[in-house]
Amino acid sequence: MQFDPRTKLVAIICITTLAVLYNTPGPLFLLLIASMILLLFFRIDPRRTWGYLRPFLYLFLLLFVIQVIFSPGGEVLLAVRQVPLITGRGLDMGASVVLRLLVVITVAVLLTTASSRDIVLGLVQLRIPYEVAFMVEVAMRFLPVFREELANVVTAVQLRGVDLQRVPWGQKMALYRSLLFPVVYGALLKAQQLSEAMDARGFRAYPRRTYLRRLQFQSLDYAMMLLFLAGTSVLVWRQLV
Amino acid sequence: MAFLALNEVAFAYRGQQKRAVAGIDLAFDLDGITAIVGPNGSGKTTLTKLMTGILQPDAGEILLENRTLRSYSLAEIGRRIGYVFQNPEQQLFCATVAEEIGFGLRHQGWGPSAVRERTGFYLDYFELAPYSNIFPLHLSRGEKQRLAIAAVLAGEPGFLIMDEPTAGLDAYRKRLLADYLHKVAGLGRGVVIVSHDTGFVQRVADRIINLENGRIRGERWQRGDSLDAV
Repeated sequence: MQFDPRTKLVAIICITTLAVLYNTPGPLFLLLIASMILLLFFRIDPRRTWGYLRPFLYLFLLLFVIQVIFSPGGEVLLAVRQVPLITGRGLDMGASVVLRLLVVITVAVLLTTASSRDIVLGLVQLRIPYEVAFMVEVAMRFLPVFREELANVVTAVQLRGVDLQRVPWGQKMALYRSLLFPVVYGALLKAQQLSEAMDARGFRAYPRRTYLRRLQFQSLDYAMMLLFLAGTSVLVWRQLV
Repeated sequence: MAFLALNEVAFAYRGQQKRAVAGIDLAFDLDGITAIVGPNGSGKTTLTKLMTGILQPDAGEILLENRTLRSYSLAEIGRRIGYVFQNPEQQLFCATVAEEIGFGLRHQGWGPSAVRERTGFYLDYFELAPYSNIFPLHLSRGEKQRLAIAAVLAGEPGFLIMDEPTAGLDAYRKRLLADYLHKVAGLGRGVVIVSHDTGFVQRVADRIINLENGRIRGERWQRGDSLDAV
């Protein structure tokens, strides 16, 4: 079953909107289940989804702990010298933040089922300027490259004799923090080189672009979009009213 | 007992039917300079990544100091084997050139003055001192290459593997590198270089291994004057 990339974009936007709107763990959990069912519907192997989620596990844990500690309120579950450390509201907030991120990343996996060229075409046909659509394509294409570069850095660090498994947490965080700037700056340098290469190859040399192919909505696309837009509208209305 | 031994090693990248390397039997001691040569795509880089534990073989076994390489962490391998990547940008991750050279030393517990001294030596030797506070990725290709080599050599590992170490180096700096490699080998350390630079290989290598289609096609000892075709 082939869906138009615009249909997938609509589904992603709808689910992401709901994930931002809801702020309690229950509905967010249901949204996560719905996202997973959607991925299964699109025949995406759950192991592939897990592969995208796994690198974020430490971030989820960190965010959860920060939210639990810094969002006090409700029933006090654990206190240290009368200072509430874990509260009912803190746990709710921590779970909500993690579930929200899980929903957004899970549903974004849907984009991997469409080629980047089709996504650009879809965005352009949605009247989004080509430059913006192309930026989206470049970001998607460079995401795996960026991930590979991070993996290379981690390998290179270890091959200089630093055992990341055995470095204490405090030092590990300091190490990652010190590595973050060069890695991000390196990515910016590459972006600059890419823009120069694009200019050299005549990017935006002519104001009008033509396309060999046009995407066509099928009836199933209309049905799917209608379902998502109507469902999201009802849920948003129920949440806001 | 060889320092590093490869027994019937084979490896294929995921999703590829053809093996990148197969049937590799090699042994390296802690002396001499070995060059691995061969055309593009012959499996040279894959072989070095297997030797450093970055990739795990699908078949066969790699032994480091008579223990399977799988039982070592990357950091433990890194303390024994220094590896210069083919693309130096892949192994430069610090905010300045000086930090890059001192990184491994600092994290292996060296004191600040010892790190400064050792860093200063390598900055001077590889003529990187004027750039000590520069962001490494702002350097030219040749300077990045020199920095990657200096950062690995600073840890003084017992064994060195360098993938295309002369790429981007001018004749003078190739000579400097050759001198240094001879010095390193003379100190009882093993060196493996992967190179297309036949002049450099002829000048520095004691042993030349020819790789083709992922298999060893020949092995030649230059200094010992023995010749083996596999």
